[in-house]
Amino acid sequence: MVKQFAEWLSTTSPSVFIQNHNSWVIPAIQSVHIIGIAVVLGSVFMIYLRILGWAGMDQTLRQTTSRFGPWLNGGLYLMLATGVLMVIGEPVRELVTLSFWLKMFLVAVSTAFALIFQISLQKNERRWEDILVKRRSIQGLAIVTFLIWVCIIILGRLIAYDHIWGSWSPATKA
Amino acid sequence: MPMDVAALLKLLEDSGLAARIRDSVFLFPMIESTHVIGLALVFGTIAIIDLRLLGIASSQRSFQRMASDILKWTWGAFALTALTGSLMFITNASVYYHNLFFRTKMLLLVLTGINMLFFELTAGRTIHGWDQAPSAPRTGKAVAALSLAMWIGIICMGRLIGFTTSRAAAVPPPPAGVNFDDFLQGTPNDNGGTQTTPPREH
Repeated sequence: MVKQFAEWLSTTSPSVFIQNHNSWVIPAIQSVHIIGIAVVLGSVFMIYLRILGWAGMDQTLRQTTSRFGPWLNGGLYLMLATGVLMVIGEPVRELVTLSFWLKMFLVAVSTAFALIFQISLQKNERRWEDILVKRRSIQGLAIVTFLIWVCIIILGRLIAYDHIWGSWSPATKA
Repeated sequence: MPMDVAALLKLLEDSGLAARIRDSVFLFPMIESTHVIGLALVFGTIAIIDLRLLGIASSQRSFQRMASDILKWTWGAFALTALTGSLMFITNASVYYHNLFFRTKMLLLVLTGINMLFFELTAGRTIHGWDQAPSAPRTGKAVAALSLAMWIGIICMGRLIGFTTSRAAAVPPPPAGVNFDDFLQGTPNDNGGTQTTPPREH
């Protein structure tokens, strides 16, 4: 069904436009997507370093998240927009891959983590600054969520190499 | 005596390491992914510093404090990016060497280095005077704006390299039924750019 949808999408006019201007539109969209990755990864990196106490210790946790939170959100919207354009431009290449769906799953997980963190920080600001940020389990969780972002980036690149999944990839299925 | 570049490129391509990366299904994609992670951290952290110099973000923080906090991570990420970039380069050295986008990217990298040196010799010498100021003096701002523009250019050039070079060990897509056990026998076939042929149907 996904395959039928992808094939239908590839016949729509926005998709046909991108396919016809393939030589520069796709690299341009991908480049903006990578710039978005840099904004997102750079922002979460600074927040995680602050939680781990490895950088930004002249700032409170709250100051750090208000400095980088808006850039993180902006970067995510930029990636969503360019990501949607890539799916429209090459529906079959994107949607009929295992890497793409694994990536989307992890994006949902890390977005949920980020939302829970933001809400919790807003509700218990003092507790976060004084106690939680120093807790081993929270620091471990910060490392795990950073690794999820790393996996998201790897899976994003693997969309182009989905054959490495062998028979696990729908792209190689009949 | 001029160095024989062609021979050097061939030497790199013929190395055991290059062959090993070419012959593996997953090494090149993993190296490329690591390159993306490295460059994201390089550009992400440099942008934080540049925006501070421009007075756009973090303008209340001490510049020196930020620089000593962040730039060590930038250099670590840069080392990772340079290493993975070199590993990709040797798999197909002569093709990359003659690629216009690769050459432009290398030129831009050299220019960002010169830009950084220029900063050290100008605004960098008077940091104590503007460390707490919301933005750097004019030369510092110019350096920051140039840095942002050049790094964006480097990213675009990098992506274009993938679309304008064909991988050395191009083979047709593997048949259906290939599984993880076949990793070590297969060869990569995608240039990381657009897929010109749809997945094979069986």
